[in-house]
Amino acid sequence: MSTNTKYHLETKEQRNIGTSEMPLSCCNGVHPSENLLQVSSIPSVWCVGCGIGTVVNTFIQTVERSDIDFNKICVVSGIGCTGKVAEYLNFTSYTTTACDLFEFAANVKSKNTSSRVVVFSNNADLLVSGAADFINSAGRDDDLIVIHINNIVFTITEYGIVPASPFLRISVDQNFVLPFNIPHLAESYGVRYIARWTPLRAGWLMYSIMDTFAKRGFSLIEVVSPCSIYCSASDTIGDSVEQMEFYDRHSVIRQGECTENLDMRANNRIILGKFVDKR
Amino acid sequence: MKAKINIIRERCKGCKICVEICQADVLAVSEESNNNGYFPPHVKNPDNCIYCGMCEMFCPDFAIWVTAIAQKEVVT
Repeated sequence: MSTNTKYHLETKEQRNIGTSEMPLSCCNGVHPSENLLQVSSIPSVWCVGCGIGTVVNTFIQTVERSDIDFNKICVVSGIGCTGKVAEYLNFTSYTTTACDLFEFAANVKSKNTSSRVVVFSNNADLLVSGAADFINSAGRDDDLIVIHINNIVFTITEYGIVPASPFLRISVDQNFVLPFNIPHLAESYGVRYIARWTPLRAGWLMYSIMDTFAKRGFSLIEVVSPCSIYCSASDTIGDSVEQMEFYDRHSVIRQGECTENLDMRANNRIILGKFVDKR
Repeated sequence: MKAKINIIRERCKGCKICVEICQADVLAVSEESNNNGYFPPHVKNPDNCIYCGMCEMFCPDFAIWVTAIAQKEVVT
C-alpha cells in the first residue's frame, strides 16, 4: 500500500467528495482491483495499442464479479509478450519454459484438484513448438481454461511466419503459409468449449470466461488481438486506437458457426462467437 | 455529476483508448506529460459522465477508474 500513495495527487477535500456508500479502497486513491495486481511492476511492458493488457483487465474484472475463490485460481503463462501476464497478477502464477506450457498446467491441476488453472498462451505455445502438448492436453480433457491470445505474428523475429499468419502475407525470405484454423483443430480433438473474440468486445469476453468458470473441462477462448509492431510495419493501419478498432470493423459475430468456416483469409471478415458448447 | 473519475498519471502509457471509447465526451488528452513522457488524459467535462465504466474496463494499465457519487434525493 505504501508504494501507491506517491501516485495520489489529489487533496484531502477532493477525496471526501464521495459518501459512505463508496468502498474504502476508492477513497484512498487505490484502484478497486489493486489487491489482485503486483503493483510494483505496473505499468506493464506491453506496447501502446497492444490488446493483452485489455484482456488481462477483463479477466481480473471477471474474477471479481464471479463468486470464485481468489486463492484457488492459478495462472500459468508461457513465453514472449503473453508470458509476462503472470508477473502482473497477484494469484498463484508462474511463467514456464518455452513451449512446455500445458504439461506444467496439467501437473498443477493434478496435484491441486480443487484449483482452477487459467492458461494464457500465444502462437508459439499453442501452434509452433507447443502443438503436441496442446493436442495431448485437449485429448486428455484436462480441466484447463485456455485464453489464447492470437496476434498473428512472431514479434521476436519481427517479419517471420507463424502457422496463424494471414493468407497472402509474404515474409522477407519469400515464405508464406496457409493460416491455421485453431478452433477446427481444437474441436477435432474433443474440446468442448470454443469461443473467439477481440479485445474490444470485452463484455462478450467476460461472458465467455464466466461460462468457463461455471463448468469443468478443457475450454479454449481465442482472442484475436492486434500487435503494434506488426501493424505499424505494414503501414496501412494507424496508431493505437485505430489498430484496436481495425479488428472490430473487420469482424462479424455468428454464434454457433461451423468451425470449418473460421479461417482468417484475405478479404474475409473474422468470424467471432461461441462455436462449441457441449458441456 | 454522477461519478468521480480517478486517474493515476504516472501509470498511463498514453494509448488514448479511454478518450476514444468515452461516448459522453468527458475525457481529453492533457498537454502536460508525466514523468515517463506520455500524455495522460484529463477530465474535460465532469458533468457529462453517465457512469458507464467503459474507461475503467478497457484501460490496459489500470490507471483510471470511476467511483459513484450518491445523488441527493429530490423532494417533490
